[in-house]
Formats: sequence, C-alpha cells, structure tokens
Amino acid sequence: MIILDLLLLNILVLCAIAAIRVRDLLSAVIIFSAYSLLMAIIWLQLGSPDVAITEAAVGAGVTTMLFIATISKTRRYE
Amino acid sequence: MYKEEILILRVVVRFMMPFIQIYGCYIIVSGHLGPGGGFAGGTIVAASMILYALTFDVDRALDKVPHKHATMLESLGGIWFMSCGIVGLLLGGNFLANGQIGVPLGTPGRLLSGGLVPVIYFGVGIKVAMTIMSLYFSLVEEDR
Amino acid sequence: MLELLQGLANNYFYCYALVLFIIGFYTILSHSNLLKKLIGLNIMQTSVFLFFVALAYVKDGKAAIITGEEGALYTNPLPSALVLTGIVVTVSVTAFALVLLVKLYSYYGTLDADEITMLRGNPE
Repeated sequence: MIILDLLLLNILVLCAIAAIRVRDLLSAVIIFSAYSLLMAIIWLQLGSPDVAITEAAVGAGVTTMLFIATISKTRRYE
Repeated sequence: MYKEEILILRVVVRFMMPFIQIYGCYIIVSGHLGPGGGFAGGTIVAASMILYALTFDVDRALDKVPHKHATMLESLGGIWFMSCGIVGLLLGGNFLANGQIGVPLGTPGRLLSGGLVPVIYFGVGIKVAMTIMSLYFSLVEEDR
Repeated sequence: MLELLQGLANNYFYCYALVLFIIGFYTILSHSNLLKKLIGLNIMQTSVFLFFVALAYVKDGKAAIITGEEGALYTNPLPSALVLTGIVVTVSVTAFALVLLVKLYSYYGTLDADEITMLRGNPE
C-alpha cells in the first residue's frame, strides 16, 4: 500500500509543477483538474470517503468549469 | 465535420443526463448512511445542468431553470434549514436538536433513520444545487 | 539526526503536504499572471487539506461509518468535517476571484499584474 501511496504522491507533485510551468492557461486548468482527481484518490486511501467524493465533485468538476468559463471570457495565453 | 461532432456530443449528453441526476439524488438521500450528503449531491445535480448548458446553449438551459425559479428555490432551501433548526428550539431543546426532543431515530443502517438529518440534507441539497448553477450562469451570460 | 530522518520517513504525507504548500506559495509570489496565481492559491488550500486528512488517519483503520461491528478501528471523523467546511470556502473564494478577474479584464484588457500596475501609472 505504501508503494501505491508514494506513486500517487509523486504524480501529484509532478502535476502541481506542470500546472504552474505550462504557458497555455487552458492546459494548466486541465492539469489542475487531474491534480484534484488524484488528490481525491489519495483521500480515499486515507480513509475519508466523505471528503473524497466532495473533492471529486467540486475540485475536478465545478472549479474546472468556472475556470474554463473565465478563460472563454478573457484570453487563453499568458 | 464540425456539425457531426456536435451531434455525437449532444446525443451522448442527452443519454447521460438522467443517470447523473439520479446519482446526485441518491447521494443526497443516502447522505446519513455513507459518504456524501447535501453538499456533494447538490454539486453533482448542478454539474449535470452545467453540462447541459455547455453542450447545448445557455439560453436553452435558462429556459429549463430560469433565474427567478433558481433564486426562489435557493431561498426556500435556506428557510427549510432554519425552520428545521427552530423546531428544536420551540420544543424545548437546542438549535437543530434531534434525539433530544423525541424525534424517532430508527435503527442505524436503515434508510429511515437518523431523525432530522435526511430532512435537513434535502434542503441543503436544493440550496447548493441552485447556488452553483446560478454561479456558472451569471459568470457566463454577464454582458447581456 | 537519524531519528529525525526516520520520523520524516514514517510521516511522508506531511513532507508531501509541505512540498505542495511551497509550490503554491512560490506560484503566488513569482508569477505575474493573475489566473496562475489563483491556481497556486488552490494548490496551497488542497495541501492544507491533505495535511488535515493525514492527521486523521489511523493505521489499519476503516472509514468512520457505523457497521455494527464490535471493537473496530476507525479514522478520526472530526478533521473530515473541518475539511468539508474548508472545501466550501475554497469554491466560494475561487468563484468570487474569477468574477473579479472578468471585471478586471473588461476594464484594463489584460490579466497581467505588472501590466495593470503600469497602466494605472504612478500616483506621484
């Protein structure tokens, strides 16, 4: 179980670094959505399914939609 | 080419929407038995309506749930929560009192258990769904 | 020294939460794009939630749902309730900040913090 945890945590840090290094804002938002989904899986591993289901609905769903709506109103590249 | 892609997306979304909404309602109703509750279920129901607005048009989604009805239902959810709390005060207990004022609690694990908790989650689910839906709609159609 | 390293290796979730917090904080301080700053703020908030959930974890413990079993180990449900409230605050803050970003873009025509400072000019 420790190997799975360490794998998920390393991909999480990679996603966080990629989300802030990418120049395209739309790609950054999609990578942030993947980050939220990975975080939900980790919280399920840690025995809090209540928090995990809320994060999967809010972080990966609604927050991404709000970001994309803002990008469609403003500009896409930095 | 472009039109065919839109057609596939629309058919799939039309097929998926009732399942997403039933899943959201299931999470609201069984919130006192397992993971979930009013906030998560309401968010899933709102996400299905946002999916409809993304695939079709914001105006068609606003025809289904107009701003006036959304505001009214949102206020109704708040009033529902407050009145569930004040019932406890009127019967001589704390605010949001549950077993203290003699509400039947039932056996743990059954659907009809937990006293006032499923009733409160129902109001919370309606309020959260309408709030997140109006957040997205007012962000998108602000300049009209 | 060895004890410190052993403690860090046993509590590796805390180390990763610290790394994520530093990444988010660095983004807020160094990037000039306001939307990137908002993504950094979100990363910071989720790292704090990860710290809270890792605090609540009990080894070999199950999720805190009543099953009627005698003598079972459960994880602590109190930090879960705190984190749920925190997620509600996170999505509210994000929505409000995004509406402010749309207003800023329609007024200044850019989302870059340095360009907005230049456009406003020096107050003498």
